[in-house]
Amino acid sequence: MAEVNKKEEQPRIGVFVCHCGTNIAGSVNIQDVMDYAKTLPNVAVSDEYQYMCSTPGQGKIADAIKEHNLTGIVVAACSPRLHEPTFRNATKAGGLNPFRFEMANIREQNSWVHMHQPEEATEKAKDAVRIAVAKASKLEDLYPKSVPVEKTAMVVGGGVGGMQAALDLADAGIKTYLVEKTPTIGGRMSQLDKTFPTLDCSQCILTPKMVDVFRNENIELLTYTEVEEVAGYIGNFDVTLRKKARGVITPDEAEAKGIVGGGCTGCGDCVAVCPVIKPNPFELGMAPRKAIYVYHPQVVPLIYTVDFDSCVKCGLCVEACGDKKAIDLEMEDELMTVKVGTVVLATGYEIFPIEKKFEWGYKNFDNVITSLEFERLICASGPTGGKLIRPSDGDKPKKVAFVLCAGSRDTTGIGKPYCSRFCCMYSLKHAHQIIEKMPGAIPYIFYMDIRSFGKMYEEFYYRIQDEGAKFIRGRVANITEDPETKNLYVHAEDTLLGRPVDLEVDMVVLAAAIQPTAETEKTRRLFGVSCSQDGWLLEAHPKLNPCGTTTAGVYLAGVCQGPKDIPDTVAQAEGAASAASIPIHKGEVELEPYFAQCIEEKCAGCGLCVPQCPYSALALVEKDGRTVMQVTEAKCKGCGTCGGFCPGGAIWMQHFATPQIVAQIDAFLLGGEQ
Amino acid sequence: MARSKNYQDPKLEEKLKDRKYYATDSNPDFLKEVEKIGQTIAHMCYQCGTCTGSCPSAPRSSYRIRLFMRKAVLGLEEEALTDPDLWLCTTCYSCTDRCPRDIAPTDVIMAMRNLAAKRDIVPRNFLQTVQLIYKSGHGVPNNDVNRAARVKLGLEAEPETTHKYPEYIPGIQKIIDHYELKAKADRLVAQGE
Repeated sequence: MAEVNKKEEQPRIGVFVCHCGTNIAGSVNIQDVMDYAKTLPNVAVSDEYQYMCSTPGQGKIADAIKEHNLTGIVVAACSPRLHEPTFRNATKAGGLNPFRFEMANIREQNSWVHMHQPEEATEKAKDAVRIAVAKASKLEDLYPKSVPVEKTAMVVGGGVGGMQAALDLADAGIKTYLVEKTPTIGGRMSQLDKTFPTLDCSQCILTPKMVDVFRNENIELLTYTEVEEVAGYIGNFDVTLRKKARGVITPDEAEAKGIVGGGCTGCGDCVAVCPVIKPNPFELGMAPRKAIYVYHPQVVPLIYTVDFDSCVKCGLCVEACGDKKAIDLEMEDELMTVKVGTVVLATGYEIFPIEKKFEWGYKNFDNVITSLEFERLICASGPTGGKLIRPSDGDKPKKVAFVLCAGSRDTTGIGKPYCSRFCCMYSLKHAHQIIEKMPGAIPYIFYMDIRSFGKMYEEFYYRIQDEGAKFIRGRVANITEDPETKNLYVHAEDTLLGRPVDLEVDMVVLAAAIQPTAETEKTRRLFGVSCSQDGWLLEAHPKLNPCGTTTAGVYLAGVCQGPKDIPDTVAQAEGAASAASIPIHKGEVELEPYFAQCIEEKCAGCGLCVPQCPYSALALVEKDGRTVMQVTEAKCKGCGTCGGFCPGGAIWMQHFATPQIVAQIDAFLLGGEQ
Repeated sequence: MARSKNYQDPKLEEKLKDRKYYATDSNPDFLKEVEKIGQTIAHMCYQCGTCTGSCPSAPRSSYRIRLFMRKAVLGLEEEALTDPDLWLCTTCYSCTDRCPRDIAPTDVIMAMRNLAAKRDIVPRNFLQTVQLIYKSGHGVPNNDVNRAARVKLGLEAEPETTHKYPEYIPGIQKIIDHYELKAKADRLVAQGE
């Protein structure tokens, strides 16, 4: 265990109060706080500075340690999340153990919230400083622990973000597992027809990447696989994967089984004989597939999958497959465990169930479709061969209305409060596609704002307006249907004209809001990642650490962190891959030394603490003929559950030890009297 | 810049008057009062027009609920309260149902009507409705055409209301008198004549 209170020296604390420009000094009387600190027990020196985090500010700390032979440092400034590492470095530079530093937050929790109460704010700052000094007097030297990092990584989600992250990690020489729950990689982007603003064919730019992923020697592609369980910590995650029974084996697997020239070649002979017909989810149910299927001809890997939920096990496919012996209708799920150093989550998004906003009639009126359905209908490889038709009668629509912000920017509790961010742009693209493919057809775009935020996006908006798209500034109030013609009446206000609009159209496309995929919640819990109110995964810092999470070793890429378009997704994926490769290339990571420690002479070996630990970090061991508890430090997160629970007070929580916390409470309640 | 050009002809002055919005046109307390009476977050309106698009009154009149929301946000008290359109809302609550920001525009209108009534700005037909309710318990009392239709449908000629039980009319009158509504209606109708 750590050297607990070995040196019973008289503490000598240095207190430094930061102005943070006027952020703190605007409402807290710095001089007052500084003078007060001088009166506190154990305080050897008290000082102030405009910006303590600046080089001269940090210099003051290092100099004071040497000059006054200090044993502890208190900086009263911002949140420890912001500058604790800065001031720990300054403490270290002065020759003290960095864990001899304690921070008093007098900005976020004080000056910013008590902007108009300077006197009370100053009193509160004094309290905070007094409490911090009490703790600093009891701090001890701690030494971070280094753990080796497994030289492999995992990417969860095989959309464009996950693929990019996996490719970057693999190209950096790191063996990477790419886990995808569906039978193919490609994700949402493979469902899109064209991409804005360049109008590149989505599949054409995506499939080379998919093939790269498949061919890359450093990538182990695990499709039709889900994350089942996660144990461990940065550098040493043990991830249990469920390889769902696919019913079909690959040529490699066949070879391993001794079937020469066997395994699925993607010939499709099985499909012809399969008697079961189901809707194809890739085509959003607008095209059929068999019980043995591929989503589309360009899937990677090109291996068929048996849908065991609908398969009747008639065996016709097995016959058709013949000597290749690729089909095994008795296949079962397999569990496998892999060890990885870091993880990138790229779990993507799905469309919000827009039928919940019943005023637009989705799933009630035949000719109201979502934008993703539009993508499939306008796509040459889609269910209609690229012909946009009305679901009600197969006719070509001549007037198509686009409803923007369908379910986005909606604070009623039914829709989503956020902007889904890419709907404006793809709706402009849809308008372009209608004008391009169907001469004479008119797109009507009902919008509140056109958010053309990216590079060349505003120019794209200009182009579509020039091509003849009609823009009506007003959110669609409701849609009604003519039961005979199945035409639709779009009701809104043209807010620029100040008149209500009743527009008869042949088809309505809802630019529906997006939400995290159904599996995101489960996956984030497995990896211990937080989410924001709306379910998107929470980055470590929205500006300065957008790829990281609060769980060390887990990073985010793409829409799972919040709505973003393809360029932003790919950029973040490259960022996440870079961040995830750093610990692997360093080879080891330092863990904060906030471990629980067993005080063996006090431990009765009762073992009651062991099941309390949420991280399975505790175990009973035999030591010198006694049973005592032992902590696996790398697993311990310092949560304190065991420390608070131990009936014998035999667990010492480093940096949050009972005497330290009691000293803080005393300092607060006794107002500085000892 | 001067808001008045001092034309000698008052008609010309009116025709060419400065219609710019000036900050001094706003009464910031107006929004606060409207929100307090209406118990709704009118200041969160983002002017999408869903309310007007939903409004059954808008296609047949110059009533634009969205513009009243805008006037509430800007504090344009005079404009809002003196606009006769204020009284064209049928209080069907379609706008409130569909508002993506969960605002109740209907309640904003009701709040503005409250404030207008305090300043004696109420259209004649509304005042007459008060008088009718005071007299009969109904804003639209039963009439012979209705009675005949009811009988034809196998119903009693008079509905289960004050029409059938006129002894309850004094109770209704007591409530109306408590708010001095009848006196106000009588006074304003008389003033109008």
